[in-house]
Amino acid sequence: MPPTKLHQATVVLHQEAGRGYFRIVLKAPGLAKQARPGQFVMLRVSENQDPILARPFGIAAVKSKQYIELFYRVVGRGTALLATVERDAVLQVQGPLGNGFPAPEKGTTPLLVAGGSGFPPLLYFALSMRHPLYMFLGARDKECLPPLRAIKSCREQAEKVYIATDDGSAGTRGFVTDGLAAFLDSRNDRESFVIYACGPRSMMAAVSKLAAERGISCFVSMEERMACGLGVCMGCSVAVRTGGYKRVCKEGPVFKSSDIDWSEQVVLPALHRK
Amino acid sequence: MRSAELKKGIPAKASKCVTSPDLSVNVAGIKMKNPVMTASGTFGYGEEFKDIIDLNRLGGIIVKGVSARPIKGNPPPRIWETPAGMLNAIGLENPGVDVFINEKLPILRSYDTAVIVNIFGYSLEEYVAVTERLDGIPGIAGLEVNISCPNVKAGGIVFGTNVKAASELLTALRKATKLPLIAKLSPNVTDITEFARAAEGSGCDGLSLINTLLGMAIDVRCRKPRLANVTGGLSGPAIKPVAVRMVWQVARAVKLPIIGMGGIMTPEDALEFILAGATAIAVGTGNFINPRATLDIADGLASHLKREGIPSVRDLIGQVIVA
Repeated sequence: MPPTKLHQATVVLHQEAGRGYFRIVLKAPGLAKQARPGQFVMLRVSENQDPILARPFGIAAVKSKQYIELFYRVVGRGTALLATVERDAVLQVQGPLGNGFPAPEKGTTPLLVAGGSGFPPLLYFALSMRHPLYMFLGARDKECLPPLRAIKSCREQAEKVYIATDDGSAGTRGFVTDGLAAFLDSRNDRESFVIYACGPRSMMAAVSKLAAERGISCFVSMEERMACGLGVCMGCSVAVRTGGYKRVCKEGPVFKSSDIDWSEQVVLPALHRK
Repeated sequence: MRSAELKKGIPAKASKCVTSPDLSVNVAGIKMKNPVMTASGTFGYGEEFKDIIDLNRLGGIIVKGVSARPIKGNPPPRIWETPAGMLNAIGLENPGVDVFINEKLPILRSYDTAVIVNIFGYSLEEYVAVTERLDGIPGIAGLEVNISCPNVKAGGIVFGTNVKAASELLTALRKATKLPLIAKLSPNVTDITEFARAAEGSGCDGLSLINTLLGMAIDVRCRKPRLANVTGGLSGPAIKPVAVRMVWQVARAVKLPIIGMGGIMTPEDALEFILAGATAIAVGTGNFINPRATLDIADGLASHLKREGIPSVRDLIGQVIVA
């Protein structure tokens, strides 16, 4: 049998990271050794039967081949309960799950586009790369941007980090896609770009459109509610352009943006609405 | 489980030391090394779990529902978490019986476990077609007939909530195959024993119960249902007491062996179903939360028998003490 994906992870660090985010570091060597950027874990926030389902989190970093780092905001009962977990607690975690980002080819310039709390897998991706890369971080307002330490890590890895907020409270006023479009249109080396995006569906749909119009290849990390993370509950399916559905947890979470049927409207509640 | 209470109901010889308890059972003519199975739609076709647990240790695998033709499934959102449970409306997405036979079954066949194929259709003819296609294919221990999926308007539930329609369907399927036939009953009826009797009268060899309970959840801010399908099937520990009650009622009404399911997460949950009258049990939503749940339950049943000095799990079937 291949190495197990079911782990008992010890919480070695759990702290508020600013801007409403929590940062949790789990000791899980078996998991950390197998992980690749863009993969995720299913974390059980308690041993109780309510809430019953594990929660999916994109891996934000792997440290010393022993630890994985996650960022999350309290958006519901599961994350509220997770926020109460103390250091040294042992949590059931499955992973690494999903396909992860395809490694950028030699000579390409990755553009990493994160919306809202979609930044963790892109942070891990950026940290793992030697390519010169550019990052675009967008959020509704300053308080919804990634925590400062994450932005600092981005700045260390990227040639440049572009920040946009809907209300202009930080960076440029407007959508992250406005800055991305301006960047693309100002450059004459467009053919070397590959876009990797993670964030709200509407943002990724816009990034996908923008990339398609300019003939730039684009990968998106999709988010859906999921029960198992293993490919059996069929709950996390997304519509694809060839017809039918694909599982975010198994065939994804990373898809070529041109494979996704963006016309299918998904009604998900706005978790961060104030 | 109160062990003192349990001991009252078991044979006198049970007090002696049991070193290797017998977990084997026979359900509907299907011999299994232990009574622990996987419920349809929660274990795929075994592929996703074969790298996580040793499938050879399972009593049986009830595979995800298979139909005569491929089914695309419902639009998302398809699931919603509820207190100690979840709603789902997947819509019976599956690649169709030919892909199952050619691509999925060969993998399953290489394991030493009973493979039970869950089947469904959108009409009596489609149920017959998939049954005839599977009849005579090596490596299939039996068929579980889904007459109870709540998420497909024209599908199973029509048969599962109408005794006459259920009888006609099961009688037709009985003629279409010699494989053991297990009817999976819906809990969304006033009296489940009527359907159990209908299955028995139609020549079925066993019963699976229960399928999910029809439910609904609403987002109060946008005033929309949480599921694109509006309603969905409720599963998980939340439904366990309903399932145990129905197994108990059905066990008293018919002679057919029962595969009990509905919220089983632990060995103790499994024992409740067995005491209520189930010969075997299936883990469903539990597979999502703990992929090792089936093996933990099989180990836990063995420990329980040892601890209580009970030679065989069969000694516990239907042994609930009701004054």
